[in-house]
Amino acid sequence: MTKDRATILETQALSARYGRIEALHAVDLDVGAGELVAVLGPNGAGKSTLLRSIMGLTDSSGTVRFEGEPLPRRDPVAVARRGVVLVPEGRGIFGPMTVAENLQLGAYLIGGRGPAFDQRLERVLTLFPRLKERLDQAAGSMSGGEQQMLAVGRALMAEPRLLMLDEPSLGLAPQVTAEILQTLASLNRGGLSVVLVEQKAPLALQIAARAYVVAGGTITARLDPREITSHDQLARYYFT
Amino acid sequence: MNQSRSLSAAGVLGAALLFAVPAQAQQVYKIGVAAGLTGYAAAVDRAWRDGLEVAVDYVNGKGGVLGRKLQLVVEDNKSEPQEAVTVYRKMISSDKVDIFISGCVSAGNFAAAPLVVRAGIPMVLCSILPPQPEQVKWAFSFLAPPRFEVEKRYEYLKANTQIRKVGVLHDPSPYANLQKGIAEKIAPDFGIEVPVVEQYKQDDADFSPQISKMNAAGAKAVIKIGLGGSTLTTAKNIKQLGLDMLLLGSIDDLAVFKPTGETLGAQFMFVAAPAQVYEALPDGALKAEIGRFLPLWRAKHGERDPFWGGKAWDAVMVTMAAIEKANSVEGAKVRDAIETISGFQGTGGVYNFSPTVHQGITTNPFFMATMVGGKVQVK
Amino acid sequence: MAGRLLALAPTACAVVLVGYAIVAGGYFVALAGFALIYAVFVTGLNIFMGYAGQASFGQNAFAAIGGYVSAVLTTTWDWPTLPALGLGVTGAVACAVLIGWPTLRLRGHYLAMATLAIGLIVYEITVQWQSVTQGYMGISGIPPLGVFGYEAASDRAQLVLLSIVAAACMGSAWLIRNSRFGRALVALSGSEDAARALGIDVTRYKLAAFVLSAGYAAVAGSLFVHVVGFVSPEIFGMNMVVLGFTMLYVGGIGTVTGPLVGAIVINMLPETIRELKDYQDLVYGAALIVILIYAPGGLASLGALWRRPAEPPKPEPRPPVPEVVEAHPSEARP
Repeated sequence: MTKDRATILETQALSARYGRIEALHAVDLDVGAGELVAVLGPNGAGKSTLLRSIMGLTDSSGTVRFEGEPLPRRDPVAVARRGVVLVPEGRGIFGPMTVAENLQLGAYLIGGRGPAFDQRLERVLTLFPRLKERLDQAAGSMSGGEQQMLAVGRALMAEPRLLMLDEPSLGLAPQVTAEILQTLASLNRGGLSVVLVEQKAPLALQIAARAYVVAGGTITARLDPREITSHDQLARYYFT
Repeated sequence: MNQSRSLSAAGVLGAALLFAVPAQAQQVYKIGVAAGLTGYAAAVDRAWRDGLEVAVDYVNGKGGVLGRKLQLVVEDNKSEPQEAVTVYRKMISSDKVDIFISGCVSAGNFAAAPLVVRAGIPMVLCSILPPQPEQVKWAFSFLAPPRFEVEKRYEYLKANTQIRKVGVLHDPSPYANLQKGIAEKIAPDFGIEVPVVEQYKQDDADFSPQISKMNAAGAKAVIKIGLGGSTLTTAKNIKQLGLDMLLLGSIDDLAVFKPTGETLGAQFMFVAAPAQVYEALPDGALKAEIGRFLPLWRAKHGERDPFWGGKAWDAVMVTMAAIEKANSVEGAKVRDAIETISGFQGTGGVYNFSPTVHQGITTNPFFMATMVGGKVQVK
Repeated sequence: MAGRLLALAPTACAVVLVGYAIVAGGYFVALAGFALIYAVFVTGLNIFMGYAGQASFGQNAFAAIGGYVSAVLTTTWDWPTLPALGLGVTGAVACAVLIGWPTLRLRGHYLAMATLAIGLIVYEITVQWQSVTQGYMGISGIPPLGVFGYEAASDRAQLVLLSIVAAACMGSAWLIRNSRFGRALVALSGSEDAARALGIDVTRYKLAAFVLSAGYAAVAGSLFVHVVGFVSPEIFGMNMVVLGFTMLYVGGIGTVTGPLVGAIVINMLPETIRELKDYQDLVYGAALIVILIYAPGGLASLGALWRRPAEPPKPEPRPPVPEVVEAHPSEARP
């Protein structure tokens, strides 16, 4: 597992706790610039905690370096300002607000209007034409797939340098999931660095350059998707 | 469906507002009453309203005033100033009342006073007078000056006991506060010391600390200022503490005094109004006037305390006397006439109004009484 | 189109009623005046509760600060009304910062408890600090609102002035709701973490919303004392909080016009059924229940109900995890 590009994100001994329970133990993980890294693992393994900890949303220790500089802990606003964007589990879209407002919030840090904003909006709506038809609709009234598109679209409005997604396939029909993942793949081809947390490993492995398996709060395996050729082989990493 | 239903509800509401135009009645004299039928003033103000009804029935039975029948317009101010402003406005502009004979919610009457004055309507009140001079001009209070309740108790202590040190226990209401200030001020005139003044809140459940403090300071009597169940609480606390202090209660409903008397016996005394001690009164003008009112009251309300009802009766009778004297129902003329009503015997005492005195009771009408065995005894 | 018209209907009704009051005079003027004052108060409450999704049980404290500062300055110190109002609002805002700063960092009930406490404390102060507030006696003789020497002394002039102030408050609420700040508030009410991840400084914005709502409450409190000419502690009692909540939910929490609609309906409704005397409260209560059942989002959101699908979309069924990897995944990769 060699890396032939610059590292954009690197965690060292990243641990996190919820009260007295440690949910993440000394995780070392790195993501190369322009790389799509999948984080796999069973439910409750600590995958979401890992992303939340990078974002600064948990009580964590250890270091996280982003583009060579340490990311502050417990200061998600500062992390967001550095260009790290998280699409949280359950999408985190704001149901009572319109699609347009959700997209405006995505570009919160540059304000919700102006030429730079219009440019970003244009790009996102080209990527997800279905959102264009629904700009004035309450986001909560859309289908799950559309909501997930909105979640990704909103994240892109921030023009992230690193995009982290927490189980985007959750609750979606297979073809919708495929559509979303293909979009991610194409964004990645365009140079976007992505961390994709997924329970549905096979789907994630189709588009990931590398993968980590997390279980019990630690990294149990580092995978090269090209070496995974069968379900049995994958299962071995999960359960050993 | 949902929407149309709610909308039609809104429509009905709008229509009701548009058509809520008052019917103009001829040849009636309208008495507006803003009273706290609900809220903290309910006990007194319901009695006030009931007394007004008795008086109005009586006057109408005799043919009304200047050929007009009296009509009561009673609105509940919920014991709140904001509601009071609303109901006063309603009675001024919709009901077009000729006079207000309103209840004891002082804040409500104060809040509405500017409107009433602007409309040129006299306001006869169960409460204290509003503070602004231009409002006092139109307002007349049937309440006895707070001084009298305190003086009666001090007089009694001075004349009948060796007690020269008292504690004052009061609630924060305006009337109680006024009395508290007076109690402190006039005590030396009776050779009495007030080493401790303590405040309580109407819904407090225990006054032991205040009473203990008074006892420790050598006070041998509690001058209790404030209405309602707090008086019984005080009595219970004195008994629990095993003290031999006297408890001297202020004017209140007999319903409050009965259980207090049962708790503390002769150790509890209270300031009583004439109507509350009717049976013990000597014959005379006062007894005669109460005798006119009391049977009518009892016919309707039985053994209920007649004090506030009697005050309301007095308010109506004074108003009638003023109208007859003015030979007019016009607001300004009635106002002027009330200022000339003097030496008027009511159930609550003698009323002496004048251009400078708008609080009619000028001589102390009260008695000291005990409640022993459920019977009021004048001391 | 029908939906849009319908959405405007409750607001239009509210405006018509106020207009009617101005033309007709009478005690509807008082009712409409109180309704407009409450609309200002509830608009503030709505920014904090409806937009930012927080709970405050102590808005009456800020109204009391505004009201009493106005009352004391204009009566005891002969200040003109406008600077008195200004200082009252400033005082309330400062007080909100002092309370909000430590408590808004905490989640959950701490803020609600703190606001409840401040409501009770300010009430006690208005009762006990008699040398300034005159306790339950209240302060009377408070002059009516005036601007640059012109005094809105007549009922109608006051109502016109109140309409302007209320309109300005609704307008500012609309601007806030549709600003970056307003969107951020709605976002943090949905999910604080999601909002933070977007770069929204949640604590600061909650504080800002709290302070703003205190400002509106203080304006309402000050308007109240100048319109009535009298203030006493009961006016800003717990009842004000209960009324505010009722208006907010009946009108439509989180909507811009909801506070106005709610304030007018809740003020006018009991009057239309005053004739029922003892049944008034009963019918009033029943009417509130009917409104909340048939318009759970409040009267102002009736139009939105029309436009939206009747039922929220069901989440798509979760597909089973494929049993087997269909093909060599690496082949699918670019």
